[in-house]
Amino acid sequence: MKSLSFRWQLTLFILMICGVTLSLAMVGLYLYERRQGDSEIQSRLEKTQLLMVGNLAPLLEQNPEATDLQLGALGVDSQIAAAAVFVPGKSRALAQYVRFGAHEVIPPPPANLAKSTFDPRRLIAWTPITSGTNRTLGLLYLKAEESESDKQRTTDLLKLALIIFSSAAFLAISVAFRLGGRFTAPITELAQVASSVQRTHDYGKRVESAASGEIGELIESFNAMLETIETKTSELEQARETAEGAKDQLEEANRTLEARVEDRTKLLAKAVKDAEEASKAKSSFLAKMSHELRTPLNAIIGYSEILREDAVDDGDARTADDLDKVLNAARHLLGLINDVLDISKIEAGKMDLYLETFDVAKTVGEVIATASPLISKKGNTLALDCPADTGAMHADVTKLRQMLLNLLSNASKFTEKGTITLKVHRLPDGESIEFAVVDTGIGMTPEQLTRLFQAFSQADASTTSKYGGTGLGLAISKQFAQMMLGDITVTSTSGVGSTFTIRLPVTVETKKPKVVNTSTQRLTRSPFPVEKRPKILVIDDDKDIRVLITEILDQSGYEVFTAGSGQQGLDLAAQMVPNLIILDLMMPGMDGWTVLTKLQHKPSLADVPVIILSGASGLEMAMSLGAAAVLFKPVDAYQLTAEIATQLAPLPPSYVLLVEDDADSRTLITRLLDTEGWNSRSAINGNAALRILKQASPAMIILDLKMAGMNGFELLEVIVKNPAWSKIPVIIVTSMDLTADMRDYLTPRTVGILYKGRFSREDLLGAIRPVVQNATLSST
Amino acid sequence: MPKILLVEDNEMNRDMLTRRLEKRGYTISIAVDGGEGVAKAKAELPDLILMDMSLPVLDGWDATRQVKADDTTKGIPVIALTAHAMEGDRQKALGAGCDDFDTKPVELNRLLLKIEELLKKFPPKPAA
Ligand SMILES: Nc1ncnc2c1ncn2[C@@H]1O[C@H](COP(=O)(O)OP(=O)(O)O)[C@@H](O)[C@H]1O
Ligand SMILES: [Mg+2]
Repeated sequence: MKSLSFRWQLTLFILMICGVTLSLAMVGLYLYERRQGDSEIQSRLEKTQLLMVGNLAPLLEQNPEATDLQLGALGVDSQIAAAAVFVPGKSRALAQYVRFGAHEVIPPPPANLAKSTFDPRRLIAWTPITSGTNRTLGLLYLKAEESESDKQRTTDLLKLALIIFSSAAFLAISVAFRLGGRFTAPITELAQVASSVQRTHDYGKRVESAASGEIGELIESFNAMLETIETKTSELEQARETAEGAKDQLEEANRTLEARVEDRTKLLAKAVKDAEEASKAKSSFLAKMSHELRTPLNAIIGYSEILREDAVDDGDARTADDLDKVLNAARHLLGLINDVLDISKIEAGKMDLYLETFDVAKTVGEVIATASPLISKKGNTLALDCPADTGAMHADVTKLRQMLLNLLSNASKFTEKGTITLKVHRLPDGESIEFAVVDTGIGMTPEQLTRLFQAFSQADASTTSKYGGTGLGLAISKQFAQMMLGDITVTSTSGVGSTFTIRLPVTVETKKPKVVNTSTQRLTRSPFPVEKRPKILVIDDDKDIRVLITEILDQSGYEVFTAGSGQQGLDLAAQMVPNLIILDLMMPGMDGWTVLTKLQHKPSLADVPVIILSGASGLEMAMSLGAAAVLFKPVDAYQLTAEIATQLAPLPPSYVLLVEDDADSRTLITRLLDTEGWNSRSAINGNAALRILKQASPAMIILDLKMAGMNGFELLEVIVKNPAWSKIPVIIVTSMDLTADMRDYLTPRTVGILYKGRFSREDLLGAIRPVVQNATLSST
Repeated sequence: MPKILLVEDNEMNRDMLTRRLEKRGYTISIAVDGGEGVAKAKAELPDLILMDMSLPVLDGWDATRQVKADDTTKGIPVIALTAHAMEGDRQKALGAGCDDFDTKPVELNRLLLKIEELLKKFPPKPAA
């Protein structure tokens, strides 16, 4: 049925109804006709009975055995098929009649001949024949038959029914087809549109036909539904297109970013390599040059001395004098070469300490012996204050000698006819010893003092011409003192004199502690429960550091893995994918910068935060390569564990992202946000900020502009180009002097600009508060 | 007169020191590398050795070690001579068995003081 069209279903339906009604009518009519016919037959039978009984009774009264009864003449009409007369005592019929052509069998008579019966179904009647005295003479059997006209009537009825049915069917079909136009057309169209929509997904189609009543409503709501679907679909499509566009843009942005990072990385890597090579070249050049220069200089000095001795022996004063000048110049040159060599060794980190225990008073005596010709040269007197029981110290004696000689030679150089005092004494704590060189010379202005310990700096340009020197001596001395964990300080009054003080530990330790602040109670614990210990990978070539950090992090609730080289670290990281990496920069073989770069290029590891542990150098580059944080060596365990916890802690649902490279500003602003009850997360530059942004969008961003690595402008560019982030309000906090161009760029892209040092706490909060509150409200 | 063995590969340095020491009355014998220095020390048994540390063939440290390891020569004082700014050299030299140490360019007066001091400590055997 389902496969039939509505039109045919309707036709069939109408036909069915016609058929049923017609059949019912026919049956009714037929029954009526039958009853009509039956009663007619019955009345005719009765008439025949009466007639025949009336005729037979006298005959049988006269002769009960009358065998010659001609029943056919006794009133049997054409409707009687058979007749018989039975008399008492005889089972055979006395007389019988069967109409011509009819095949009738006369049944035997019933036992009681006096009873009259009628079987309307078989049209048989039994009638007793009685005399005038009510004596039973016999029984009459009559069987009637439907007449031809009766039969004809039934056939006519059937014919009529057929005619009515076929005309009804014709009517039904034509009505169905006519109605098809009115009822089925809209429904058929509805069905067609629905199935075509289903097939083609073209929601622009509509059912055009109009109809009234429920079908009309159905069409209307179907069209309305299509309308809704169409708008929804197009909205969806639009949204998808926008999303696709956004995705493209994001991908594009990421690609640009990646390309830029890669470029930068390459550039930086090249720069570092160049610098390293240059530095190596410089060091080896200087070492070689100093040797190459010293060899001929030795010859000059040596032969000049021989000549001078000969001249003195010969009494040739003038030649001796000239040779003295040559010797002075040569010695000066030698000093210069030696200083330059020292400085370059210090800068290359190749200056080593040779620690030994020596007697302080004895060493001071030797230095004085060497320096005394210099001191007395300008009419100065020396005062020595060095108790003989000063005792021994453990330090690099050669360097101490060089420092003292430099201070004494400086004092002699800048003092005339004055006093130069060398005071040596142990400090009350018993752990340090001080050597003070006091002069009554020209002294220095505060301005001159500020540049004192810088390499190649002299108090003023005229110094060189007047006093000679390279301006390296104090710089070298300061470095030496600091290498031994001591220092050199100066106090000076212009025109009055100067005091230079060397302070050194009595016992200089070769090894600095590599990890400090390790006491357990102040370590920050892992932000995760014990059964979910985050995995941390430590990459450092220094075994001590690896062991110490492992211990600290293990106590703080982390699972620690270690690698002793860059390559090993990379392999292990790829294998285990840690939650965080702690990376040393200076490593033999593959250095930290390279490791960092390679990590950033591995998709599985690019988002793992990397904390750099480093000596002083190369930090900027590490930052720009995407380090999450940078900590200095010696490792401060408090700082390290706090930083790890911050990096790993899940982002709060609503937070302020602070992008700022200056640690102090970071702490300040974070505290400020804290007091207002706002969650925040800091990033040291754009690269680190992006890593956080990818996790969850912040309520707002506080952005510094000048940062190593990806700076504020670059980050802002990425943020505004990314549809997911472009709506995040950004406040600039900068110390930069913004040009009009910069301001024009920033104003439409940010919600405010604050200048470091010029804004108060309230300014900042005032700028942040409405934005954060807005964001907090809308996010809940 | 005390006899000094000067082990020095640089010709000018050798010439200068020889002339200046001879002028002050020392007898100078010369070797141009570490190997020759050890051999001459054994053969000539000088009263003192001035040993340059950066020498070809066998360097000054190894040469000194060999001299100090040999019973016939171990009593001979050795002064190591090294270039400036090699602080480690001093300890290295003393560790190798040198009795004293001085830096080049030689400051003659200072060197003469050291020579005299050592000769006092290790008095030369009267010539046989
Ligand atoms: N005792 C002093 N009195 C005044 N000026 C001094 C004194 N010591 C150092 N200076 C100033 O510091 C400068 C740097 O000294 P230094 O580093 O030893 O280099 P140099 O002795 O080769 O000039 C000197 O040129 C001089 O200007
Ligand atoms: Mg100086």
